This record gives sequence, C-alpha cells and structure tokens, in this order.
Amino acid sequence: MRVEFFLVIAALLFTIGAVGVLVRRNVIVMLMCIELMLNAVNLTFIAFAHEGQTLVGHIFALFVITVAAAEAAVGLAIVIALFRRRRTTDADDASLMRW
Amino acid sequence: MHLLSGLIVLMLVFALLRAMMPDRPLAPWALLVAGALTLLVIYRQDLAGMEFWAGAVGFVAILSALLVVMHPSPMSSVLFLILNLFCVALFYLMLQAQLLAVLQIIVYAGAIMVLFVFVVMLLNLKAEQALTAGRGVQRWAALVLGVMFAFMMYWAIRHRTGSPYYEPQTFQDGFGTARDVGLLLFREHTFAFEAAGVLLVAAMVGAVILAKRQLR
Repeated sequence: MRVEFFLVIAALLFTIGAVGVLVRRNVIVMLMCIELMLNAVNLTFIAFAHEGQTLVGHIFALFVITVAAAEAAVGLAIVIALFRRRRTTDADDASLMRW
Repeated sequence: MHLLSGLIVLMLVFALLRAMMPDRPLAPWALLVAGALTLLVIYRQDLAGMEFWAGAVGFVAILSALLVVMHPSPMSSVLFLILNLFCVALFYLMLQAQLLAVLQIIVYAGAIMVLFVFVVMLLNLKAEQALTAGRGVQRWAALVLGVMFAFMMYWAIRHRTGSPYYEPQTFQDGFGTARDVGLLLFREHTFAFEAAGVLLVAAMVGAVILAKRQLR
C-alpha cells in the first residue's frame, strides 16, 4: 500500500461531491456534497503530510474543518430562511438573484 | 493499485445501474456484492493485514459517498455522510494523524452532522419523488465532466514520482499527537488561529441573524 492509495480515494470522493453539487437540486444535499469535497481535500492534505513527514498538513486540515463548520452554520441558516419564506428546499425555486 | 482500479470500475457500474434502473433497486446491490467478492478472491494474496483493511474502508467510503449523492431521502444522505466521515477518520489513523482523526469524529461527525440532522428533521423533508426529473442537459454534462475529472486526477496521481507508505516507526515520537500539532499551531500559526476564531464568531452572528429575521 502506498500513499497514492489515499490520494486516489480522496480524488474519487472529491469527484463524487462535485458531481453531487451539480446533479442534486435539494439545497441540504448540495451542502452535504460540499462537506464531502472539503473532507476529500482534508484527506489529501493528511496524505501529503504523511508523505513529507511534516505536520503543516495537519494544521491546514484543522482550519478546513473550522471553515466547514462556519459554512455549514451559515448555509443551514439560509436554508431555514428560504424554507420559511418559500416552503421549499429546491435550489431551482430560489432564483430571485439568478440573472 | 490494480485492486483500486477494480474497485473504481465496480463503483462506476454500480452508480450507473442505480441511476439507470430506479425501478429495480436490488440489481446494483447484487452486482456490487458479487464484484467485491470477486475482487477479494482475485487479490487474496496481495491483501495482507493493513492493505486489506485499507481496501475495505476505502470500499465503504466510496460506497457511502455515492449513496449520499444518490439516495432520494435527505435523512439517509446525512447518515451515509456520517458513515463516510468515520471511514475518513480511519484513514487519518492509518496516516498517523491521531488528533485529526479524533477531531474529525468529534467536530465533523459529532457537531456539524448533528446540525444537519436537526435541520432535516426540523423541516421534515420527504424523499424527493423524481430524482431524475428535469435538467437533463446539466445532469449528463455533470456526469461526463465528473468522470473525465476523476480520470484526470487518477492519471495525474499515477504519473507522479511515487513515495512509499511509511511505517509508523519511521516517524519521530509524537507525530500527529495533540501536543505536537498544538505546539506548531500556537508557535507558528497563531495569527491564522485567531483569524479562525473571528471567522467562527462572524459565522455564528450571521447564522443567528439569518435564522431569526424573516427574509424579505
């Protein structure tokens, strides 16, 4: 087993997340796909930290987790506000600012 | 690496079957189990100890990630995402990142995912009736581009100068522990740490305001 194994897994997880954001219309599922992508990036950071035997990658991953927490909080607040106003969580129904 | 290629092809076929035939939900699963057993039999010599477990965890990780995207019910998506986060935490442990593995479970699977569960339950979301309705062009474009992107990444990773997986003994004492990560964090990245604190406060205030006031 090599470090490449983890890199390939992380690349796959990132791709699945990216496709999910484009394919799904439910805002909550889209937010979850973003979490999936951030998580894949974390795995890449940790794998490279292992390869270089340095701890800086761990620090990066720590901050990515922080940003993910902030993003989830704000994103879910927006979803709740949208649901109150429109009774929907479909991204296609929130098109006021599209054009 | 051949095992990984087999795993990727298997997952791709599973996802395609599941997307193509929503009326026959058992067929993709049967194929998945059969394919996994076949891979296990073919590569039984190479799968010693660590490699077997890494392959198994990778299998579960990719499968749960696929189901996050493909499952019609948001609640099941959240639960599969939690499973995926646990798998990634196991990968962190294999890569000598103990602190990050623990933080992944406590902060990600514990705190952030509970937030998602709360919101899904609060809004009482039902399963989407038609996952495949509408937006055909964007859907197929996303799938094609996703597959191309995945192969590009795979190609790039395969063609870099490889490096071995280091055994845990080769690391200096305390690599990845809370002590060493903390020392590095507070000695050299203090400003980033403080900035992250400001970011969290801003996010908290923003979330409270957004959820409290009616949007007009």
